[in-house]
Amino acid sequence: MNLEKVVFGFFVVLAATLNFGFFIGDISDPTLHNPYELFAAVVVNLIATVLKFGDRTQIGAVHLATSLVADLQLIGAALMFGYATYVSTAGMTAAWTASVVSLSGGALLANIVSVVLLVIETVSFHRG
Amino acid sequence: MGNPLLAFWTRIFDTDDDERRLRRASVRVAAASAAKASATVFLILRRMRAPLIVLIAIFAVSVLGLTLIPGEDPEGRPHEMGFFDAFYIMSYTATTIGFGELPYPFTYNQRMWVTISIYLTVVGWAYAIGSLLALLQDRSFRSALALQRFTRKVARLGEPFVLVAGYGRAGELLGHSMDALGRRFVVLDNAAERIDGLELESYHADVPGLAADVRDPGHLGVAGLGHASCEAVVALTDDDEANLAVVMSAALLRPDVPVIARATSRAMADRMRAFGRPSVVNPFDVFGDHLRLALRTPAAYQLLTWLESGPGAALPSRGSPPRSGRWVVCGYGRLGRELTADLRREGLAVTVIESRPVVADAEDVVVGDPSQPGVLERADLEGAVGFVAGTDNDTTNLSLVAAARRINPSLFVAARQNRPASGPLFGAMEIDALLVPTEVVAHEIYAQLSTPLLWRFLREMPAKGDDWAAELVARLSDVCGSHLQALWKERLTPQEAPALSAWLDSGTARLGDLLRNPENRDESLHAVPLLVLRGDEATLAPGSDFVLAPGDELLFAGWPAARRALGTILQIDAAREYVVTGRRVPTSWIWRRLTGTRAA
Repeated sequence: MNLEKVVFGFFVVLAATLNFGFFIGDISDPTLHNPYELFAAVVVNLIATVLKFGDRTQIGAVHLATSLVADLQLIGAALMFGYATYVSTAGMTAAWTASVVSLSGGALLANIVSVVLLVIETVSFHRG
Repeated sequence: MGNPLLAFWTRIFDTDDDERRLRRASVRVAAASAAKASATVFLILRRMRAPLIVLIAIFAVSVLGLTLIPGEDPEGRPHEMGFFDAFYIMSYTATTIGFGELPYPFTYNQRMWVTISIYLTVVGWAYAIGSLLALLQDRSFRSALALQRFTRKVARLGEPFVLVAGYGRAGELLGHSMDALGRRFVVLDNAAERIDGLELESYHADVPGLAADVRDPGHLGVAGLGHASCEAVVALTDDDEANLAVVMSAALLRPDVPVIARATSRAMADRMRAFGRPSVVNPFDVFGDHLRLALRTPAAYQLLTWLESGPGAALPSRGSPPRSGRWVVCGYGRLGRELTADLRREGLAVTVIESRPVVADAEDVVVGDPSQPGVLERADLEGAVGFVAGTDNDTTNLSLVAAARRINPSLFVAARQNRPASGPLFGAMEIDALLVPTEVVAHEIYAQLSTPLLWRFLREMPAKGDDWAAELVARLSDVCGSHLQALWKERLTPQEAPALSAWLDSGTARLGDLLRNPENRDESLHAVPLLVLRGDEATLAPGSDFVLAPGDELLFAGWPAARRALGTILQIDAAREYVVTGRRVPTSWIWRRLTGTRAA
């Protein structure tokens, strides 16, 4: 068992599960989407991205790309969340909540691709 | 092939299979080297993983803690800090900017947490920034970045360039002459300080340089060996083995590109010639040939050294080595052997002084260290006419020259200068013929690379004799003064000299009629024609009665202003008409209509 692989797999899967946890629920209901979960998803995604730095293989490059996409979308969601709570006078309306959650849904897709890549990598490793 | 698209098409699809295979091979070699550079960048990214993750984790914990700990507003109501406020506070606290407690003064709970966070985050930042700076200072990372920058620069070169492997003294001299001609070159050298020195040189054009081992074909590939615009490869390092490696790589990967290499022994020159047809320059051999030329025709030698030194060179003085008598050669190394053989071939007697035991093929040898008292006397310097101090030690050479002059002040003295730093000392000694191997190499290669016409001229010129050369030197110094001005070539083709076509076809196109000032035809242009090449037949220093024909290539020496004036004559019908016939022809269409003249 390779500890590096364990840590890597842990963060990739955790990033996807946290993202999923934030995303699930009625898209326009702010009470169903916990900001702490979004925060955790951003942090874990950033760590997963850094873990993918410096991998020279083709699959490593795609890993990094999907992670960067997820980061972009999650940070976008966090910025919108911040704007809605601090700047906008209306606060977290249904429309704002829907925007934030749909952005995190995009990130979820990227994270799922990451997990699929992880599975492919593992399976091909065992066969080879 | 007027259509550029068509030209492009042929260029892509008309190449031979062989050529394509070779081009691919050199591209592959370059790619391997570039991949090595990107590998280093990956390694650096990998090393940044730990500091970045520590930083992210510390930030996440501090921000999370701040949002969880309850605070209160000035009225004492509980207030939960949001993520944005927490992130904002942590950002300015971690970077030690410290704006204070926002949005309300903290409670003691919050202050305790912020105290812990300050220590955590400052350490995290220091660790991350410290690692980043250390990596930026990292040698391998910097050289990888330099390689990438260099690769990009070379790949973007659009004009023809020369690949110079080895940038020592000779490379520098060659570089300056090439730059003065407006030619581009790329430099590769083992020593990083020489490449750094490139920045300090005042070149007109940007010169890409890379500190790398020239023996690695990958580095040559990155430096443009596989580039379509690479017009020549020059191997100029002071290591013969390395030069041989460059010749090999160039001959195997780009057989269509001419190679010029420096070699200091005949054996090495032969090994180089086994690969393609490289032009090998052996400074000692060349110096021997020059000395023979100086013995036979001093004026031709003067002309040769002047033209070889490149634009801006001062007219060298004309030496007069003694043509009869006995020479004494100190040091029977690579230079001593060449010189002794050359002098004997000229029918001169030579006495060799060498400290090592006698070499088999030498005759008339005095064995002994020439710096010891009595050894020079044994060689009978009083009865000699010439003296060569040819050891590989500058101090020895200088003291030998001084000692020899004390014994016989009328000696013709030749000496070898090994290090550039000794230059002023040799200059003060007023040596009659000074060999600086690096300069000999640089001048010889410059003559080969500048234009094929100059090389042709220099090879055929000695056969013309001393009086001819003396007259040409006089003409050149009349026109140019004591410093050589521009050297350039003109081709009398319909594309490059459109105004001349009809006149050339008439068969009465005298060269003298062309070389007049387009402002005032009574003045002649400040330019001397050195050579006319028609097909494969060369005419040296053609007179003013020489009849030009279409397709002739001409080599001129003269003022840059004369070059511009001649360009005008070749391009503009009216200027040509005035210069040749003295008639002022209107240039514009309307004026021609009004005056009723027709374009010739």
